[in-house]
Amino acid sequence: MAGEVLIVAEQVKGEIAKVTLELLGEGRKLADKLGSPLSCFILGHNMDSQLEKIVQAGADKIYLADDKELEEYKTLTYRRVIIDEIDTWATQPHTLLMGSTTMGRDLAPRIAAYYETGLTADTIELDIGPYEHKAGTDKTKIGYFPECLYANRPSFGESLKARILGPWKDPQMATIRPGVFAQPKPNSKKLSDIELKKVKISFKEDDFRVSISKILREESTKMDISEAEVIIAGGFGVGSAEAFNQLKKLADCFENSTIAASRKAVDAGWITYPYQVGQTGKTVRPKLYIACGISGALQHRVGMQKADKIIAINKDPDAPIFSFADHGIVGDLFQVIPEMIKQIKALDRKKELAAV
Amino acid sequence: MANKDLNIYVLVKQVPDTRSKAGVNPDGTIDRAKAGKMLNPFDAYAMQAALSAKRMGGPGSKVTAVSMGPPPAIDILYQALEHGVDKTCLLSDRKLAASDTLATSYALAKTLEYLFKSDGKPDLVFCGLQTTDGDTAQVGPEICERLDLTQVTYVEGFEIKDNLIHARKIIEGGAMEVEAKLPALMTIANSYNKLEFKTFRGAKFVQGLKRNEQLQKEYVKIIDLATVEADDMLCGLAGSPTIVSATWKIGTVGGNCTMHQGKSVEDMVTEVFETENSVIKELSKV
Repeated sequence: MAGEVLIVAEQVKGEIAKVTLELLGEGRKLADKLGSPLSCFILGHNMDSQLEKIVQAGADKIYLADDKELEEYKTLTYRRVIIDEIDTWATQPHTLLMGSTTMGRDLAPRIAAYYETGLTADTIELDIGPYEHKAGTDKTKIGYFPECLYANRPSFGESLKARILGPWKDPQMATIRPGVFAQPKPNSKKLSDIELKKVKISFKEDDFRVSISKILREESTKMDISEAEVIIAGGFGVGSAEAFNQLKKLADCFENSTIAASRKAVDAGWITYPYQVGQTGKTVRPKLYIACGISGALQHRVGMQKADKIIAINKDPDAPIFSFADHGIVGDLFQVIPEMIKQIKALDRKKELAAV
Repeated sequence: MANKDLNIYVLVKQVPDTRSKAGVNPDGTIDRAKAGKMLNPFDAYAMQAALSAKRMGGPGSKVTAVSMGPPPAIDILYQALEHGVDKTCLLSDRKLAASDTLATSYALAKTLEYLFKSDGKPDLVFCGLQTTDGDTAQVGPEICERLDLTQVTYVEGFEIKDNLIHARKIIEGGAMEVEAKLPALMTIANSYNKLEFKTFRGAKFVQGLKRNEQLQKEYVKIIDLATVEADDMLCGLAGSPTIVSATWKIGTVGGNCTMHQGKSVEDMVTEVFETENSVIKELSKV
């Protein structure tokens, strides 16, 4: 029988991260296909209040590592606890998933390298399915594998999606961006319905080579772009940091709005990384997304295609963004944006007049 | 206590240049042979970090840039020398083709181990946070696991005081300040300082280097898998635990975009806003 489907949970200040619940929802489907248990490995301190959430998101089994040293994520302490536990198992997990967050992207490759196994980054779709390896330089790889983890992700800068798999060694690993999967509806199970294993913890001196001196979490003062209802996003076509002020003015015409950017604009240094939408940025689902000077490469598209309405402004009538936007305006964004602002303000005036 | 001399390595990669249209097929796929090449943008930040670290160390500190790739990748090593890197090394071997991240981390770890013997044990290894052609951010941490270096990822600023790293790194929803012991590997985010201009000395040096084959061998060392005593079966396709089993084009989602073009800006915006009147009204400020 295939091994467990294991989700390594993430918690911030003792609260289970949304991405973990999303992964449990998707992991449930994979576990059912495999006929394997879905388990969740949670590391932290005083996490008891969070366990029911994990059960209700679909877990059959919880591995709980509770220690003051695990309160905040640190590479080596988390790595130690996870590999020490898995090393005691008779069967490796079949699948091991983590969020593609600053934690998951730091920790997952450590675990993958430790087990010398494959790891697919920033996956957008998961499934279980067969694969036949027919030929290759390494004859030991040839064979038919009925139950592989399929991890699909866009390939670099291209309008191609690639299925990546590696059935030769378990655990088969992937990281998944927050927001890609929906959170599951909570079931009615209780903690007493499932198996809870308290994990033995024994750190080594070497695990404390990094110590945390300060944590600066921006509280709700700063807009999280994934929470906005309206996003005005700029791409390479915006051309400069100053020009993002134009986008800001348009965003200011809407309630609960923000500016955002494609990776090219972030790479150019015009705007900072927290505003980045896409494969390596955030996944957003606003009610309205206005894309300004964004070509619409797949890397961007996977982060915003679930927006309710997409209006794209681009000079190039062949820009890929026009293939999936609701409205495409072919024109200069520096003319279109001021016109939009003007018309929205006029709308407001009409409203006022109507009220009088 | 002043910092000791720091032996610094920086890993760099040549990636397709997505800013130019060369090599981009009409269907959006990329012809890697035709595409222009450039230094991975994240590695420019890593290089800046390595050069900054050199200034923090004692007067005998040095930076070695290391890359893996086909022979044309020496371009980015010349670039590194122009910016003030002291020495460079390229691992180049046909058997490296189709390496995934695990196989790449193995080959690079073997290369680093080889260099540690000839050029000294490391105090610091820098990598870009990720590459723009793979986007995985995995190779740095995988090398850490193999070489047992202290790991600090997503670094956006750091200092070295009393031979201890004080770094600021990005975490979900904010940042974290950490203290880390040497020897360490740091992956550098694109919120770090931009790469400074080439130095006059570096540019002059590279000019001379291009005319002197003997010097080239010393400053742009090209080595293969046999040199670093790597096991071929752990490299390239054979050493990669993952493969791409299928690719497919993503069809247009919906594909029913209403196009507005060839009219005045005012008319186009009016058309859009009239169709989406309820959405705009609901979401705009009164």
